[in-house]
Amino acid sequence: MSSLGASLAIALSGLTAEQAAISTTTNNVANVNTPGYSRQVPLLASSDPVVIDPLTLGTGVTLQSIESIRDPILESRIQQETQNQGQLGALVSALSQTQVNFSSTGSDIGTAITNFFNSINQLSTNPADISLRQGVLTAAGNLAAAFNSTANQLATQRTSLDQSVVQSVNQINTLTGQIAQLNGQISALQNVGQSAGSFVDQRTQLIDQLSSLVDVSVIPADNTLTLTTANGTALVTGQQSYQLATQSDSTGVQHIFAQNVDITGSIVSGQLGGLLQARDQQIPGLQTQLDTLAVGLANAVNGVQAKGFDLKGVAGTNLFNPPPVTGVGAAAGLSVAITDPTLIAASSDGSTGSNGNAEALYALSAQAIISGQSPTDYYSSIVFNVGNAASNATAEQTASNLTLQQLNDQRGSVSGVSLDQEAANLVQYQQAYAASAQIISAINTMMSDVINMKTS
Amino acid sequence: MRVNPNPYPDLLAAVAQTQQQIATDEQQIASGRSVNVPSDNPAAAATLIQNSDQTSQADQFQRSIGSLQGGFQNADSALSSVIVALQQAISLGVEGANGTVNAADRAALTTQVQGIQNQLLSLANLTYQGNYVFAGTANQTTPYVLNPSSSSGVTYQGNSGVNSVTLGDHFTLQTNVPGSQLFASAGTDMFQSIHDLIVSLQSGTGINNAVVEVGNASNAISTQRVFYGNALNQLNSQQTYLAGETTQLAQQQSTVGGTDLTKVISNLTSSQLSLQASLQSIGQTSRIDLFDYLK
Repeated sequence: MSSLGASLAIALSGLTAEQAAISTTTNNVANVNTPGYSRQVPLLASSDPVVIDPLTLGTGVTLQSIESIRDPILESRIQQETQNQGQLGALVSALSQTQVNFSSTGSDIGTAITNFFNSINQLSTNPADISLRQGVLTAAGNLAAAFNSTANQLATQRTSLDQSVVQSVNQINTLTGQIAQLNGQISALQNVGQSAGSFVDQRTQLIDQLSSLVDVSVIPADNTLTLTTANGTALVTGQQSYQLATQSDSTGVQHIFAQNVDITGSIVSGQLGGLLQARDQQIPGLQTQLDTLAVGLANAVNGVQAKGFDLKGVAGTNLFNPPPVTGVGAAAGLSVAITDPTLIAASSDGSTGSNGNAEALYALSAQAIISGQSPTDYYSSIVFNVGNAASNATAEQTASNLTLQQLNDQRGSVSGVSLDQEAANLVQYQQAYAASAQIISAINTMMSDVINMKTS
Repeated sequence: MRVNPNPYPDLLAAVAQTQQQIATDEQQIASGRSVNVPSDNPAAAATLIQNSDQTSQADQFQRSIGSLQGGFQNADSALSSVIVALQQAISLGVEGANGTVNAADRAALTTQVQGIQNQLLSLANLTYQGNYVFAGTANQTTPYVLNPSSSSGVTYQGNSGVNSVTLGDHFTLQTNVPGSQLFASAGTDMFQSIHDLIVSLQSGTGINNAVVEVGNASNAISTQRVFYGNALNQLNSQQTYLAGETTQLAQQQSTVGGTDLTKVISNLTSSQLSLQASLQSIGQTSRIDLFDYLK
């Protein structure tokens, strides 16, 4: 047989539970615009009944827990795609900058090559003419300058990518530190069976930010998680974060170290992955191609010079200063070796008016002197390679953005706060609260009745 | 089924995409080019580089042709004067062979032929833009100098070198004839023949033979002179050919890298409409929710 007191307790449990539910709704509404927030749902459950023979009586309602609604698999897919997007973003940005050096501006290498050979053709019509000879020297100087300038731009870009690498590493270190701290707070709660609520949301946000910077693998463990890079280098284990360090190597380029192990080559995704790809593969590849072109041209021209005679009938000397044997730095260092126009070896027999060697120099423009291609063909294939790389990366980036958008939509549909839903819930909890309060009023009246019962 | 309650990121992403497309279209219209950076169309970018190189080469060939035309005309005109002078010498010789002339008359004729000899020397030493034209490739050396101990009265100091100039993809043209070939071919020798005529007029014997010798030399030079007429014709043909090439290259450049204005403008218009519609729909996407009705 239950008592008024028991009923009061039950009504009170109702008030408390509904109040907590309302507070959850209020929290959701307050966080409607918080990025990464997962809506919270109060789990109300009936309290354990008591048995008072022969009846089983209910004891009211308790708020079991407040659950955050999120889909961990979706979160994981978002992190993966974020890494991809980060990498492509860095790559597209770098390549867009690089390819500017290869647009036809009038001072680009392609135009300079054409102008150089044009000046030789003009010389061929009157090989003894000093001003035409000077024209060849000027065109050669412009050609060297175009190579120098492009090579320098690539080197400058490489340096700036280097700086971005250091900045990214610093950001990564900040984030892993914050994540480790959150891990501590989360485990403290989860170890005693509590839901860690929005701490988990915050940690997920930080992991997303980290994913955009570097490839991250998330390994859940007991009430905590471990973060590593794709190849297994530890970033965070539980409350411990491991800082990455940067150090420059013998060529002045920054390498990334984790506990004194060089992991530069194993970072493949995220912004850092994209930066490293641009810095260590794309740009050096271009630099090598430029060097090959510079070496091929300089050596071929010098070779033909040597076979001819200058205006004074002396055997020809180098027009360009010989490039390094390894080819490294040939484009950056290309320079004209002669300043006296009479030293151009236009003559093939030592006479002042012979243009045979000038014709031989001109013929180089159509000869396969650079890896089986003519100079202009080789240059145009460099331009194709740069353009193609940039175009492919851009297309992939567009696709990645779209995928990420869709994944975020899905996440929103699972975890996003809907004001309509919260409003409806509020009405519901409010009514239940009002009803419980009304019951308490009634019980109060009944208790007064009891107390005021007179035995006389 | 629950939908994402926050539609703004998607709508804004669509707007950004449309704006990007509009920017690209506007740039193409302003520049007139569909390939402004290599990534716009990598294969076209490569083709355009080669196109630009070929166009520039064609322009250079035209300039080189222009440079050579003046020289050829100059040489041809000098040779015309040479022929005229030789014909004059022949007339004087025929006069001298006439039985009615006396020693004094022949002396006067000799003087005139000597004048022609000097004129021929000048013409053979023709210069053009600072170079000797008929010296082969030794063009800073006077080709013909007087030499009393030589049988023809002159010595040739030039060489037999010939130059060719590339004036097209598969077109090279010889640009000179050495004096040694020009003035002494087919068993004749211009200076020798004039020298012999002078000697015969002075001595009064063998004048007829000398006149025939000069006549042969004149014919030989006329034959050699054809080189310059031919060269000028070939230059004209090549100019026409190059002009055609240049037109084709310009068409290729326009096809491969030019903006298709009609298409781009129509794309731009529809992008702008789409942008307007997106912005309107964002504005109208109601932020009315249930809270507004629970008063």
